[in-house]
Amino acid sequence: MAFDLGVLRKLDEYLFEIPASYNAGMRVPARIYADREILEMAARDRSLEQLANVAWLPGIVGFALALPDIHEGYGFPIGGVAATDMKQGVISPGGVGYDINCGVRLLATNIDAAQARPFLQALVDAAADAIPAGVGRGGDVRLRRERLDDALEGGAEWAVQAGFGRREDTEHCEENGRMPWARAGAVSSRAKERGGDQLGTLGAGNHFIEIDEVLEIYDEEAANAYGLRKGQLVAQIHSGSRGLGHQVCTDYVQRFQSVVKREGYRLPDRELVCAPLASQEGQDYLAAMSAAANFAWANRQVMTEFMRRGFEKVGAARGLRIELFVVYDVAHNVAKVERHTVNGRSLELCVHRKGATRAFPPGHSAIPAAYRAVGQPVLVPGDMGTGSYVLRATEKAMREAFGSCCHGAGRALSRAGARREMTAEEVRATLAEQGIAVRAGSAKGLVEEAPGAYKDIHHVVEVVHGAGIATKVAYLRPLGVVKG
Amino acid sequence: MRGYEELQHTADVALRVWGRTLPELFVAAAEGMFALMGAPERLDSERELELEAEDLEALLVDWLNELIYLRDRYQELYSSFDVQVWPSWRLHGVARGGKAKPQGALIKAATYHGLTIGRLEEGEGFVAEIVFDT
Repeated sequence: MAFDLGVLRKLDEYLFEIPASYNAGMRVPARIYADREILEMAARDRSLEQLANVAWLPGIVGFALALPDIHEGYGFPIGGVAATDMKQGVISPGGVGYDINCGVRLLATNIDAAQARPFLQALVDAAADAIPAGVGRGGDVRLRRERLDDALEGGAEWAVQAGFGRREDTEHCEENGRMPWARAGAVSSRAKERGGDQLGTLGAGNHFIEIDEVLEIYDEEAANAYGLRKGQLVAQIHSGSRGLGHQVCTDYVQRFQSVVKREGYRLPDRELVCAPLASQEGQDYLAAMSAAANFAWANRQVMTEFMRRGFEKVGAARGLRIELFVVYDVAHNVAKVERHTVNGRSLELCVHRKGATRAFPPGHSAIPAAYRAVGQPVLVPGDMGTGSYVLRATEKAMREAFGSCCHGAGRALSRAGARREMTAEEVRATLAEQGIAVRAGSAKGLVEEAPGAYKDIHHVVEVVHGAGIATKVAYLRPLGVVKG
Repeated sequence: MRGYEELQHTADVALRVWGRTLPELFVAAAEGMFALMGAPERLDSERELELEAEDLEALLVDWLNELIYLRDRYQELYSSFDVQVWPSWRLHGVARGGKAKPQGALIKAATYHGLTIGRLEEGEGFVAEIVFDT
């Protein structure tokens, strides 16, 4: 099953291309930001074959793209970008994924990590107690149906209006935490039933809350703009649209099966099912996916406020005023309508990012005013042992990568493989050795997401930094983790 | 003669399932999927399903996704199943289970990715491979 790396053309030190001649169905070439080691890792499974498959999508523009955190997904690889023409192209639920707007939010505090050391466990417990975690677990925010529809169309803005947080929180979100194309009516009542009570809940799997210390600053100018400084205590929330988003994807993958037949599309994998953006089905999915994305933004906003209240209490008991500010919030799984210049032509495109982050350059109007001079923050969480990076996006990402960058380390081991290689006790011991406080909902989940199950985050970031599609701003070291 | 085993897949969870008949195959797939999530303490709930799909693959995916929907909707896990399948393509199913908190990987959906349904090489029966999104 290994992919023959001989077919790749080297375009640049960190950029490789699978030519469109690789197989008969490819409409455009496929590109990957990588180095030799990452290519060899990707060649071992179906990642690169899947990347080539993405280039079959009707109306795909330029090239299918993968980032160095690429790993095998279902249909689409994870760590990939596909831009399709709004007029002639398709939209594909598989290019977004089941966890619509799975994303990460970085929160800064006003205190130092050194100050927080003595009550770190109290902070971890406060986060764990405030935010329900685990599979299918409902939360305390139960919404009547019409309120849920408001959340689906209003996103993080709705959450703030409902009393969860401050207005400035949403200013530091991609899309201000609200996709304008959302239509609650495009979301099935089953999706609403499945996820309606999960607002303000973390979920399981790779979702986590992490408390970190800013260990290194590489770029003072950008760090200043983002409100980050060395030694600062910060936190991250990694979660998505929960059961609601999963059901939206399931519903439309099912509905699009007959659309593919009707349109006569030839696709190498059924998970690539898609519908013309100009069709009723395509428009309905765009509206439903956007609504699910809004639900995820509302979810992270509600969790932010729960955490804020929890941290305030922990501080108050110690005569400290602990505040939380939103640095930024990015989506990892989403499709967006954006304008890009391709071969000298300005086109309106549907940019699918599956396990990829939007990365808009300095000066772009979609970036919050406070960050516009330095470019959009790109948040790249690693696994729970190794830490995370904050990057800044560049003009090159806009020019060459549809304004996109990597989203994380990317898995190296399967979940089953991770369970064979280590036990929960070993993982706990390793984390304890590094002084990382942990609260985990299930031992199985802890092992599956253990350090060692993922690629080396430093390596992934060196590739995007070297390629120049984003540059390093700060490195965060984990101090405490809450897992579902 | 039905069963299941977990396969290697980097991002996700994958199962190979088999059964002497198509209904057995569908039961084995449901049993294998719920075995990844834990078991209910009591079987005090019974859910009935009627499904129609474009083809056999779609029927299998829909069956599993319907059970995942019921899991989240009612916060239940299921461990006992009855299935009837009719060609072109309809299913009647019953899932028995009860309230339980799922353990381990969050299975979000059964996918079409790498989905195969075939005949067993020796003797009679069917085998399928299914990748789940987690």
